[in-house]
Amino acid sequence: METTIQIIAYGVIVGALYGLVAIGLALLMGVMKYLNIAHGTFIMLGGYVSFWIFTFWGINPYLSIPLVMLVMFLIGLIIYKLLLSSLLKLPYIGLRINNSMLITFGLIWVLDNAATLLWTGDVRSIVTSYTGETLNLFGIRLPYTGMAGLGLAVLVIFLLNLLLSKTYFGKAVRATTQDAEAATLAGINIHRTYLISCGIALALAGVAGVVVVLSYSVTPSGGLSWLLMALVVMVLAGEGKINAVLPAGLILGLVEAASVFVTGAAYREVVVLIMFILVLMFRPRGLFTRRAEGTQYDS
Amino acid sequence: MTANWKRFLITGAVVAICALLPLLMEIGTHVMNLLLMLFIYIILSQSWNLMGGYAGQINLGLAAFFGCGVLATHFLWVAGVPIYLAVLVGGVVATVLAGIIGLPTLRLRGMYFAIGTFALAEALRVTVGNVFPRAVYMPSSYIVGYSYIPRYYLGLIIVIITLVTVYLVANSRLGLAMMAIRDDEQAAQVTGVNIFKYKVLALLISAFLAGLAGGVYAFFQLSFWQLSVVFSPIWTFEPLMATAIGGTGTLIGPVLGSIFLVVLSEIFALTLGEAHLIIFGVLFILVVLYFPYGLAGAVDRVRQVMVRVRRSKPKARGGVY
Amino acid sequence: MLEISHIDVYYGDLQALWDVSLTIGDGEIVTLIGSNGAGKSTTLKTISGLLKPKTGSINYDGIRLDKLPAHKVVELGICMVPEGRRLFPQMSVLENLEVGAFLRQARQVKGDTLNWVYEVFPVLRERFKQSAGTLSGGEQQMVAIGRALMSQPKLLLLDEISVGLSPLLVQEICRVIKDINKSRKLTIFLVEQNVRMALALADRGYIIESGRILDQGDAKALLNSDRVKDAYLGIGSAKESE
Repeated sequence: METTIQIIAYGVIVGALYGLVAIGLALLMGVMKYLNIAHGTFIMLGGYVSFWIFTFWGINPYLSIPLVMLVMFLIGLIIYKLLLSSLLKLPYIGLRINNSMLITFGLIWVLDNAATLLWTGDVRSIVTSYTGETLNLFGIRLPYTGMAGLGLAVLVIFLLNLLLSKTYFGKAVRATTQDAEAATLAGINIHRTYLISCGIALALAGVAGVVVVLSYSVTPSGGLSWLLMALVVMVLAGEGKINAVLPAGLILGLVEAASVFVTGAAYREVVVLIMFILVLMFRPRGLFTRRAEGTQYDS
Repeated sequence: MTANWKRFLITGAVVAICALLPLLMEIGTHVMNLLLMLFIYIILSQSWNLMGGYAGQINLGLAAFFGCGVLATHFLWVAGVPIYLAVLVGGVVATVLAGIIGLPTLRLRGMYFAIGTFALAEALRVTVGNVFPRAVYMPSSYIVGYSYIPRYYLGLIIVIITLVTVYLVANSRLGLAMMAIRDDEQAAQVTGVNIFKYKVLALLISAFLAGLAGGVYAFFQLSFWQLSVVFSPIWTFEPLMATAIGGTGTLIGPVLGSIFLVVLSEIFALTLGEAHLIIFGVLFILVVLYFPYGLAGAVDRVRQVMVRVRRSKPKARGGVY
Repeated sequence: MLEISHIDVYYGDLQALWDVSLTIGDGEIVTLIGSNGAGKSTTLKTISGLLKPKTGSINYDGIRLDKLPAHKVVELGICMVPEGRRLFPQMSVLENLEVGAFLRQARQVKGDTLNWVYEVFPVLRERFKQSAGTLSGGEQQMVAIGRALMSQPKLLLLDEISVGLSPLLVQEICRVIKDINKSRKLTIFLVEQNVRMALALADRGYIIESGRILDQGDAKALLNSDRVKDAYLGIGSAKESE
């Protein structure tokens, strides 16, 4: 019994992080139909920013989150302006997705290797007084950093939800997502909407990066495994369903926790892959989409 | 028709030169290494091009098929299986793997294929890294008798097989269907093209070629400091980049791009070392954004201009090579 | 006043409008009628900025419209109700209307405008929470018009609003349009295939065919003209009107 609860606890903590890791990717995909393969790299970048802030100025990483978000937001604006804005001209969604994949794939190479050059391939992580410490609750071990990560994930996604549903900017984002031309006719500057959304998506990646550098570590090429998780969570949640990202992450986390218990940590990615394939075979629109929705058969 | 004969003649001459080269002159170790990597890149680029350039399906996990070919070939060959058979099996293993990932993903939008192949490559990379963490060496008996010549010819033969295969596919009904799918999937579907079947076929052929490339690499490499390296995304990125720069959807493009890549790597290795991948990345992004037809497109345009100059009458061109 | 001068509009390489000129005076109801594919929607899209003319110009109160991006055209007070309504299907009726008031100056008076829209289309007040994608055709049309009204427009462009609506609903909407034109001095430019409805509603009309303006004049006069009777109303010859 105790083991089961431990597994569940582990799964929830890891799953919440997966949700946080995926939310930036899902936002960009949902709003603009851009697939940002470099998302993992940006998560690493967020972790690095937090790491250097901690190393040079001794600022508590949790407190540095707003600064990290700001930096990542600005980088997001630049990336959009430089690289992604030209994709808007492409007529088909399929073309847009393809080209954004290619461009961001190239971006991985530029950024990962630049990071290696600048910061070496050393493994970095932020070690504080509470790293590795766990709270012992009725015999269940709950790592402090993990719980903080869980809290952050819930908070960030909740705030994003508020932004999208209650603010005018959020309405603009949703309107643009559902019908970009009609949004233009209502006076919405869709280019500005996309620009800011890109910044927000990267800021979200930054927050994930902070949690990662505290609970795990960052390396220049470490983004790829997080990208894998983010992609699978996004597919589980269903394209464009921001609200389903956290539940999807939790499901993935729980499945992983169970599988690690059974087969050990070496086959974690295989389990994730198998899950991905199964979802594609049986519920390709995502676990949370009703039959009538979803358009991923269009080109 | 004469144009075709001329092209065949040139190609034949090039092939003949390549085939006779090692017999006519002494090729140094360094150049041999370069040539073998060039061969592997050409094969991999053609493989990626088949799916990406002709069928319009972006494969972000080519490394998975390559790596499988390497692993299968290596273990079989070390176990005593003759190399050509081992390489063949490597190709087959890659094909089987392709089927596993292709069947669920190719029914859906292209994005899922990209994610699926990427997930496959990553899963293999990490898992193989966990299961085989230690370095792998060729048995000493193999090292003692190591000669580049058979490796050169194996590579050359596979390159020729690849080029012939891609040429035949591109000019077949399968190729026509693939290009229709690439240009407008919905339209293709509406005209009765079974897009799933053709996508799967294209993938199987593409994966087979990538597996063969892996086999060549397994024969070529003396040791692997970590087996998981053969699943590194660099084995997807460099062929992708070579194809993009050379020109997608053409036969000559991946060849041009691979040559460009190898030459540039050499130049950079002497001066900038690590930075060369950054430059490649920037180059790649520029190509995707601004030069969709790559080097082959530039060559084509030069040819067009020359024809116009020669005849002062523009000639209609349909596709390169 | 809106002045369209000698515009040529292309879709890529395909020319859709040839040398089109129109004027729309303040407070008028003007209609552009023509059959399917004649270029009516193209004209509206060009005014609203979704398309740009290759030659010619569009002026509104002295400002060049054809150089502006579409969302800036809305800021000038020109709002289009697009063909097919184009609501935001996963947003509620209220949210759709709120998005209509996106512009800063419209947002400030949102409450009042909303009340007015509810007066004009009372059924929307009942259905304010309902998801826009689940409404009937007529209700969607009302939301679409309401959304345009939320932006406090001075010129309203209506693209084939009668499509898919029952004759009773069409009459109702005509009444509403006439009403807001009078009470708010809102200039209306409507594009229609339903010739009878359009010419009954409008003060003046233009006829477009294959991308060229063929005729113009007083709406009642046009209604009685032979050309219109013949081509569009099916009277006078055995031809069926579209």
